[in-house]
Amino acid sequence: MIRIDGVLLSKGSGGVYGEKMMKGLRVWDPYRSKFAALAMIKPETDLDEDLRVLYLGAANGTTVSHFADYVKTVYAVEFAPRPMQDLIEVSRRRKNIIPIMADAANPREYAPFVEEVGMIYQDVAQPNQAEIALVNLPFLKKGGVVILMLKARSVDVTADPKVIFEDTIKTLEDGGLIVEDTCRLEPYHHDHACIVCRKP
Amino acid sequence: MQMQYWFGDVEIGDNGEGTPRRVKIPGKSGPEDYAERCRNIESDMADFVPLRVADAIAGDSGNNGNNVNNVNNGNNDDAAGFKDEAEYFETLRLTTIALAESKIKLYYTKGDIELVQMVRVLDEMDNVINRLIERATEWYIVQNPKFSRKYKSVSAKKMVDIMRREKNSLGRLGYEIDRLSIERTRLMREISDRADIIAPNCSALVGGLVAARLISRAGSLSRMAMMPASAVQVLGAESALFTHLRGNTPSPKHGIIFQHRRIHNAGTGVRGKVSRVLGGKLAIAARLDYYRGEIAPEFIEKAQERIDYVFAAGEDGSKDEGKESGKAGGKVNGNAGGKNDVKTEGRVNGKDEGKKKNDKRRSAE
Repeated sequence: MIRIDGVLLSKGSGGVYGEKMMKGLRVWDPYRSKFAALAMIKPETDLDEDLRVLYLGAANGTTVSHFADYVKTVYAVEFAPRPMQDLIEVSRRRKNIIPIMADAANPREYAPFVEEVGMIYQDVAQPNQAEIALVNLPFLKKGGVVILMLKARSVDVTADPKVIFEDTIKTLEDGGLIVEDTCRLEPYHHDHACIVCRKP
Repeated sequence: MQMQYWFGDVEIGDNGEGTPRRVKIPGKSGPEDYAERCRNIESDMADFVPLRVADAIAGDSGNNGNNVNNVNNGNNDDAAGFKDEAEYFETLRLTTIALAESKIKLYYTKGDIELVQMVRVLDEMDNVINRLIERATEWYIVQNPKFSRKYKSVSAKKMVDIMRREKNSLGRLGYEIDRLSIERTRLMREISDRADIIAPNCSALVGGLVAARLISRAGSLSRMAMMPASAVQVLGAESALFTHLRGNTPSPKHGIIFQHRRIHNAGTGVRGKVSRVLGGKLAIAARLDYYRGEIAPEFIEKAQERIDYVFAAGEDGSKDEGKESGKAGGKVNGNAGGKNDVKTEGRVNGKDEGKKKNDKRRSAE
């Protein structure tokens, strides 16, 4: 990944969401994007230019646009109509984004469009995040990664984030994934954790 | 096993990957045709195999023996036949965009979504107008040291008229505020008319504007239809409700429905009862509106009757007395006033508008 003076950057034309530019490159702000936060915390994080990504919970397409700068194709799944309008606009300019309006918990809706991917990136803020990741596993090739951005507050506001975190890891492992790495996204995002798994 | 993908059907061998696949699609089509096809596809996730881009590209069949098997019949219709990867992804992208756009359009044509936005704009306009008048009045007072509102009870409307007589930018501001108020009234009427169409039963019970406000507060008509009557009753009094649940304040009796004259005109003794009955009837009306979508005159008539009966019980102070006398009175009342109520609702509500600010505060108590 491109870093200059400790700032995460991506190639591509700017002005997607008013992001800052630096030496003609787009600044990827870790305070706005959880993936950028992960890349700051774990410097070994990388995005291969040949990678296909299934992005669940694409929202307005801010993080998606940065993904698209790095990888080959992004299948961006989003459910809500309002952010979808923005996502479509982003995908008109970035030809390697495939915007899909569907519920990430119901992969049948978008199965006909998605090829085998090397990475599932999930940021859905739903109470059943682990289950959503598991039902999407058929799209992931062997050895592929799942990056799950877990917002403890979306699972259960009252419960201890630590417990939720452990429960989620257990569900993922029971579902046949190998949890490779976990980290908190402090100081960039509060009460957020990142779980990196691999499909054996 | 046959898999259905967006561009066509693919035959897949039982031994998983690396087996011959065949693509079938009747002719080449544009994104719209693919989108149409995709609306009818149902994938089974149990034995799902993700599509391979190579299967859709005609030229790849030669390079890789296990891809498209369209050589044996030489029929072009039998292959998805995208020229190359670039064309494949371009078509896929345009197809999913077309699908998403039609889904968004469908979602927005439900009608209540726009209604919700209109109500929110109306509330914002109220805010803006009130604050502008307040500010401008302060300014006017500084310009005219002899002016005082004491003993004159100058209404906001009057205040704007006074300001408009000024020849400076304050006068022009007054003019703009006036125009904004006119626009607000128009919007209010439009909301009321639209609520009559989207939620005819709720509108018949409480008037278009209050119905629209309820829908807006609930989020959508479908959400309101799924709410219990007690929730509809206190819709808009959430802060009071949660204060009550948290501590020992009394429970709120009414939220937005307080704006309906049957409630704020009811005697304090029966106001809670009228709210409860109205809340219950509204919950039913919302379900009728959502699932049936047309007016149910017999329901409206009975509901009005019931509301009038409870309302009347408070009016002659006989709320705790025998039901029989009350019922008789209520019935007469209902038949006489019921139909009229429906018709005059919009106007009555319009008149009530001025009181609204005050009512809102009281209803939260």
